[in-house]
Amino acid sequence: MEEQHNLSGIEKIKQASDGLRGEIEQSLKDEITGAIREGDQAVVKFHGMYQQDDRDRREERAQKKLDRLYTFMIRLRLPGGFMDAKQWVAMHSIAGDNSTGVIKITTRQTVQLHGLIKSKIRPTIKSFSEAGLDSIATCGDINRNVLCSAHPKQSPIHEKVFAYADKISEMLMPKTKAYYEIWLEDEKIADKKEEEDPLYQDRYLPRKFKIAIAIPPNNDVDVFGNDLGLIAIIENNELKGYNIAIGGGLSTTHGNPSTYARLGTVIGFTDTEEKTMKAIYEVLTVQRDYGNRSDRKLARLKYTIDKYGVDWFRTEVEKRAGFKLEPARPFQFTERRDYFGWYQNNRGLWYYTVFVENGRVTDDEQAALKTALLEVAKTNKVSFRFTANQNVIISDISEKDKDSIQKILEKFNIIAHTEASSVVRKNSMACVALPTCPLALAEGQRYLPNLIGKIEPLMEKHGLVNEDIIIRMTGCPNGCARPYIAEIGFVGTAPGKYNLHIGGDNQGMRLNKIYKENLDEPAILNELDNLFSQFKKERTIKESFGDFTVRKQLI
Amino acid sequence: MLPEHKLKILLDLVKSSSKDELSWMNGYISDIIGEETRKMPVTAKATINKVTIAYGTETGNSKRVATDFAAKAKKNGINAKVVSLDQYRLNDLAKEEYFLTIISTQGEGEPPEAAKKFYDHIHHNGFKLEKLKYSVLALGDTSYPLYCKAGEDVDEQLQKLGGKRIAEMQKCDVEFEEDANLWFSKVLKTLSDNKESNVVPTALPETAKKSAGKKSYSGTIITNINLNDRGSNKETYHIEIAADEVEYEAGDSIGIVPENPDKMVETILSFAKGINAGKKIQYKNESYTIFDLLKYKLNISHLITAVVKRYASIVTQEIPETKIDLLNLLKIYPVKDAAQFEEVLGILNPIAPRLYTMASSPAANNGEVHITVVKDVFTVNEEKKFGICSAFLGRQNINTPIKFFVQKNKRFRLPAPDKDIIMIGPGTGIAAFRSFLAERDATGASGKNWLFFGEQHFAVDFLYQTEIQNWFETGVLTKVNVAFSRDQPEKIYVQHRMWEQGAELYKWIQSGAHVYLCGKKDPMSVDVEHALMGIIEKFGEKTKEEAREFFIQMENEGRYSEDVY
Ligand code: SRM
Ligand SMILES: Cc1cc2nc3c(=O)[nH]c(=O)nc-3n(C[C@H](O)[C@H](O)[C@H](O)COP(=O)(O)OP(=O)(O)OC[C@H]3O[C@@H](n4cnc5c(N)ncnc54)[C@H](O)[C@@H]3O)c2cc1C
Ligand SMILES: Cc1cc2nc3c(=O)[nH]c(=O)nc-3n(C[C@H](O)[C@H](O)[C@H](O)COP(=O)(O)O)c2cc1C
Ligand code: SF4
Repeated sequence: MEEQHNLSGIEKIKQASDGLRGEIEQSLKDEITGAIREGDQAVVKFHGMYQQDDRDRREERAQKKLDRLYTFMIRLRLPGGFMDAKQWVAMHSIAGDNSTGVIKITTRQTVQLHGLIKSKIRPTIKSFSEAGLDSIATCGDINRNVLCSAHPKQSPIHEKVFAYADKISEMLMPKTKAYYEIWLEDEKIADKKEEEDPLYQDRYLPRKFKIAIAIPPNNDVDVFGNDLGLIAIIENNELKGYNIAIGGGLSTTHGNPSTYARLGTVIGFTDTEEKTMKAIYEVLTVQRDYGNRSDRKLARLKYTIDKYGVDWFRTEVEKRAGFKLEPARPFQFTERRDYFGWYQNNRGLWYYTVFVENGRVTDDEQAALKTALLEVAKTNKVSFRFTANQNVIISDISEKDKDSIQKILEKFNIIAHTEASSVVRKNSMACVALPTCPLALAEGQRYLPNLIGKIEPLMEKHGLVNEDIIIRMTGCPNGCARPYIAEIGFVGTAPGKYNLHIGGDNQGMRLNKIYKENLDEPAILNELDNLFSQFKKERTIKESFGDFTVRKQLI
Repeated sequence: MLPEHKLKILLDLVKSSSKDELSWMNGYISDIIGEETRKMPVTAKATINKVTIAYGTETGNSKRVATDFAAKAKKNGINAKVVSLDQYRLNDLAKEEYFLTIISTQGEGEPPEAAKKFYDHIHHNGFKLEKLKYSVLALGDTSYPLYCKAGEDVDEQLQKLGGKRIAEMQKCDVEFEEDANLWFSKVLKTLSDNKESNVVPTALPETAKKSAGKKSYSGTIITNINLNDRGSNKETYHIEIAADEVEYEAGDSIGIVPENPDKMVETILSFAKGINAGKKIQYKNESYTIFDLLKYKLNISHLITAVVKRYASIVTQEIPETKIDLLNLLKIYPVKDAAQFEEVLGILNPIAPRLYTMASSPAANNGEVHITVVKDVFTVNEEKKFGICSAFLGRQNINTPIKFFVQKNKRFRLPAPDKDIIMIGPGTGIAAFRSFLAERDATGASGKNWLFFGEQHFAVDFLYQTEIQNWFETGVLTKVNVAFSRDQPEKIYVQHRMWEQGAELYKWIQSGAHVYLCGKKDPMSVDVEHALMGIIEKFGEKTKEEAREFFIQMENEGRYSEDVY
């Protein structure tokens, strides 16, 4: 392992943070500002929070002699995106009492609450804790929320695979008790030895680390977009083990050619749980020791791997794990979707997947989604599973309870809403972006719904209404809605301006490329009009839009 | 001109006397000369040994005067009992012999809240006060249209009830000390002579020089912003007025006479059958159109009961004794015709000025005055209403001219630059301290500054947040503690923060800090005073009584000052 020089500022903050404590206690006591101290803004991420401010309100508040409206976004840790009914009820009231009230389902199977003012953080985390929920390590240079293919109908052994999400999350948790001390005001631990952390030490990882588990043939989690992906290998309803893919990462930076999106590379197969867990663990240790700690733009695993080579990396992992990885097993992804509507799993339990546009659970003109889901939760006869496409599955409903749930969903117009939404709308995703995201260059979730509204007529015009083309939009090149593996991707460059990406496939195995840059809305619609008409005329049978654009060498 | 030995006595006496004693002697002597008759010196044992000094106060002046005089009376061997009019047993009035009333005027020529019971009692005749010998000291302010009205009424009523004046009523303007002493010296003298003949038969024309009103400035509104963010329950306007020649000191207020809203005037006129809004009529020997009179001159909202009474007799109807605005009067008890409506105009009081503590500092904001005005919201039988002046100010656009006068507040002044100060100013109370801090910042005062501020919600109600942050970062503010009452289940107010800081707070006070309180009187100022006394008691390890005395001591030394309303 090589000695690293000129460590980035964040590295110093981590190491000086005394087990992720920083000066948070003092920051909370600073009465006249809604912000926390500079260093702590990095530290709280490890506790699952981001300091933000409402960018729409800056100017007017300055006029009013008010400081920026600093608030905090908190992100829950929900391995595999699972939450029980009681927890939903708790989350619902916490959102109402302490945040903007909107429950935001993310592209990584969890939820975020926005707009907590400083004095509300502790009460929020305490209430979550009482409901058995936490936000530990959902942000920061550490393993994030672990994804797993969401829908139990996908396989009889879904439950078995799903259990790994939790095991992995547990294995990769930081050992510090700071979270409990600071937010739950638990006893300070006397003996710091209890906190010793062989995995993260005091440096943690050079950058965020993301893990997902996919159950073929559905790649709903975008397994190759993750630093580490597990592909479940199932032969006649038995879990044989996992193929391991490493080095996925989907973000770039405008004008920084050394940054790029990368899909994970499959490096082998492990057959037992013990080996799988060990291999995962050592991928993290190698990244910890060799990842770039001076330039955060180049610190993700993908850059480490490309720097040292895939083979070197595999060997290093095997050396540390003490066993060789078996050759990867064959697998095939044929789709990347959520199964909207009612479906039954092999054990006869029922599941209803609700379409939640851009993951925003709130009551609006079309449907009183938030109220409906609360009533559903209150029956205590369901559980909830979030999907990596920002939707929610009302889950594990027994035959006898199905009708009562159906009635509630009808009463609040949820079923009609889900069914009435077009295929393209249901396939699309946008990131949060404005007003809360400090990195946003353009609108995301506030704009896409209305752009889709203008794309739908185009598809109609060219008779493509039932094509499931995947469209994704982000407000900046960080790629939070994974636009680089969409068939049509919009990446914000400036207010109202987007780069148009095409050429991704439907299963998430091929990156797209930039087709046109800095388009405004009319230009976007014009380009799509032409592409659609060409597609309609010249496609081969069953050819997806993405494959078509590649065959035609449009990019 | 005095012979050696007399001069010596005089000089000794002068040296050994307090300011008040001197001005008392001054009054005493000038009186003697006035009557050109020698009287036995007051220091001799007086034959009267019991007087009651009853005060009715809103902001504490009358009380201060009353207790001060009682002390002097005692010095003169007269046993004086001091009582606040709200504590006073009304039945005792019939038994009283010597009864002195010191009462201020509030609102619109009304008695202070604490004197209402007494005031109403003596206005309901049907009993006699044969024994009563009395005199009235009326505190007031010439900038209000009904100068010392409450005092006048009391003086008049007590006579109607058979009481005998032992000294004519004395009216005092804002600077009341001198006139008040003059009055008391007269009273003392008559008491000491104990001569029925000293009874003043009827009110003499008021002799006290009535200071010729206050200088009226015409300024221009250059800023008017609502400091509360969206989602707040409040609207608090920061208003900046440019007025080059204006002169004031940090701690002063300005007085503004509001205009009535057009809509209100129009609806009123719509209820006065056949009235011609353009018709000119005389008012205070100037002529105005009826519309202008209603808009600019006459108070048409929240009429006091006296006015309502007169209205009742004009329309010859039974109207319950309550405050009500003109519009509702006209709705419920219509006027017969235009003539009767004009008659009604005749009985309306002028619009009274409203005071606003200045939020600016002469040193920092030369040629400007800033004020912090919260829109006054209240409901009258389920109908949401807004205060006349605060709403009026909220409506003003920039570049509108506006008239105002400066209301000095001698008892609310910054101490020497090197003295530490503790400022408690929740809500609009922050105004005075924005002024203090700006002044101390601009003049580079070396004393430490500690601010307590409170409002409802941190995110939307933190008045002047960025300015306070700057003063804290630049060290002008040594300490700041804020309380936001509605950001958590339990209500937290400034007094709770003061308790949390109790030890430190007492340390500052011990080492000579001056304490200032500004803002809403009820319930804030009361709660804060209790907190302060509690803190002095606990952290000064004193008894309740000692703590109270310590506190009063601070008041007397001018180390505790209030500007509450
Ligand atoms: C909520 C979410 C988008 C959504 O609408 O669902 C999101 C929102 C944000 N992302 Fe993301 N990212 C989200 C999934 C992603 C994904 C997709 C994925 O992981 O499958 C990516 C691309 C995949 C990847 O990581 O390579 C992604 C790549 C980033 C990056 C770029 C990381 C990099 O390697 O350069 C940043 C910026 C950074 O970390 O410096 C970022 C930063 C952010 C922040 C926290 C902005 C910030 O750093 O202050 C955004 C908060 C906005 C807000 O107000 O909520 N987010 N972010 C997703 C939350 C996932 C979760 O629950 O953890
Ligand atoms: C020394 C001093 C300093 C002050 N400093 C400030 C300051 O810095 N900032 C500030 O905002 N204020 C300050 N005030 C208060 C200010 O002077 C006004 O009293 C306040 O703005 C309300 O006046 P208004 O004309 O808006 O309300 P008004 O119309 O005078 O009404 C006031 C109250 O009268 C009652 N009322 C009125 N009409 C009716 C009706 N029709 N029926 C029933 N009840 C009725 C209501 O209770 C209402 O709240 C100060 C006061 C004083 C004495
Ligand atoms: C809101 C308000 C209204 C007042 N109205 C009158 C008034 O109508 N006539 C008057 O002569 N003085 C008026 N004053 C002035 C007071 O009588 C004067 O300040 C007096 O010194 C207060 O004495 P106190 O502290 O004992 O109440 C008013 C003062 C305030 C604060
Ligand atoms: S993609 Fe960019 S704009 Fe969108 S949420 Fe992520 S960081 Fe913010």
